[in-house]
Amino acid sequence: MLKLYRARRRRNARVIFFSIGATLIGLSALAAILGTLLYQGLSGLSLDVFTQMTPPPGSDGGGLLNPIVGSLIMTSLAVVVGTPVGILAGTYMAEYGRYAKLSMVVRFINDILLSAPSIVIGLFVYEILVAPMGHFSAFAGVIALSLLVVPVVVRTTEDMLLLVPKELREAASALGMPRSKVIQKVSYRAARAGMITGVLLAVARISGETAPLLFTALNNQFFSIDLNAPMASLPYVIFQFAMSPYHQWQALAWIGALIITFAVLALSIVARSLTAATKG
Amino acid sequence: MNIASVQSATVPTPTATNSAAAAGRHEEKISVRNLNFYYGNHKALKNVNVSLYTRMVTAFIGPSGCGKSTLLRILNRIYDLYPNQRAEGEVMLDQENILSADQDLNYLRARVGMVFQKPTPFPMSIYENIAFGVRLYERLPKSEIDGRVESALRRGALWEEVKDKLAANGLSLSGGQQQRLCIARTVAVRPEVILLDEPCSALDPISTAKIEELIDELKNDYTIAIVTHNMQQAARVSDYTAFMYLGEMVEFDATSKMFTSPVDQRTQDYITGRFG
Repeated sequence: MLKLYRARRRRNARVIFFSIGATLIGLSALAAILGTLLYQGLSGLSLDVFTQMTPPPGSDGGGLLNPIVGSLIMTSLAVVVGTPVGILAGTYMAEYGRYAKLSMVVRFINDILLSAPSIVIGLFVYEILVAPMGHFSAFAGVIALSLLVVPVVVRTTEDMLLLVPKELREAASALGMPRSKVIQKVSYRAARAGMITGVLLAVARISGETAPLLFTALNNQFFSIDLNAPMASLPYVIFQFAMSPYHQWQALAWIGALIITFAVLALSIVARSLTAATKG
Repeated sequence: MNIASVQSATVPTPTATNSAAAAGRHEEKISVRNLNFYYGNHKALKNVNVSLYTRMVTAFIGPSGCGKSTLLRILNRIYDLYPNQRAEGEVMLDQENILSADQDLNYLRARVGMVFQKPTPFPMSIYENIAFGVRLYERLPKSEIDGRVESALRRGALWEEVKDKLAANGLSLSGGQQQRLCIARTVAVRPEVILLDEPCSALDPISTAKIEELIDELKNDYTIAIVTHNMQQAARVSDYTAFMYLGEMVEFDATSKMFTSPVDQRTQDYITGRFG
């Protein structure tokens, strides 16, 4: 008896040791990434970064104004386009069509879309939009990014709505509440924190995507907010500048990476505190 | 749609009730006739007949899985939320078959309210938990909603405990308070019938006593059906008792008679604790 208990304790200690070890490895990788970013990026960070355009190769100075604005425009438009589609589809699958065959089909296809390489999405949008239009455009970039938003939001919306206890829905229905109201007032409220997190996950995912923009929005050396023209974006500029032999471009690439990382980080923190505050 | 006005049209006048009582029987509010119920291929209720009388408490007792809750879930057709659940037969609510396909379910559920085993406050403030149901069927100014919320909470014997924290989340209340909030929420919609599905099984004895008092109070205005595993509770709160076993209605009679001189041997065995 006691022998068995000692063996049990030893096994417990071993598992705890490995769990902590795995956590430390994961955390140190994250710390290393953030540390390198800070070290490389912080030194070049100045007001110029936010007010100047990307410099021509080999020259000093310049900033990242055009890619920052481009990324903001395309990311936010993609979220605006993709989120409603994703939430409505997820709502259908978890609420109206919970027992329907169609939901299974949609779920399967959505999972494929979720794991599809983003470059495939880029190529797809190139074929259906860029090629017929005859030129690259921010509009095509928005569509490509929103195609990445949809599956993430569909998945989290469905999962979060499925977690809402069925008793809550029954209780709401038992008051004589129509289905649509039950969903809006009760299910959405109960699942709100998770659904918001889902949208943020999608934002985090697309704000770092380069591949779908390669074939769609391309890049722009100049400041442009024209959706019908190519538009610069941070990931693309990082990709282009980091691969270049020019020192100033490389420095800007680090700064860009720093900005994206901390923007996503800040967004997550804000959203977490928001949902925690409203959860009551 | 105004429930109150419809209600006054459908509820019999006091004189009618009195004459019925004088005649030695009670007015039927809900009448269940030859009811069969299926979960997929499993037949859960077999040819059930029972009545709920106006402004009376009817208790449903029986061992787990006998179909008590199933029966209750038919009376407001909440089972309709799920596919593969099917009822056959007749359930008459004021001479109108609620099982018919053209029955408006939301309206039915506003007339036949339900409180569940587990307290289910909505993830919103105490005030909103109640105002919400009221606003579904009536367009009222804020002051009147306030009044309805207060009177519902008073009816739910909760007002004194929550009047200073109406804006607090309903989930912050204790289990017993949550259940009384759910009852208040149901009452606020002004239904005609209230179904209670083991409302006390998750509560401590003090909360249970409060809810039993509440039931006694509520039956002045509502027709009540309660499913319970607690036979003392059935004896305490109900006027009529129905004993169910394996999907069948074994015996249905006045509570005083059921607990003193039941006709069926199975009823006798169950209430004396010999099985179940």
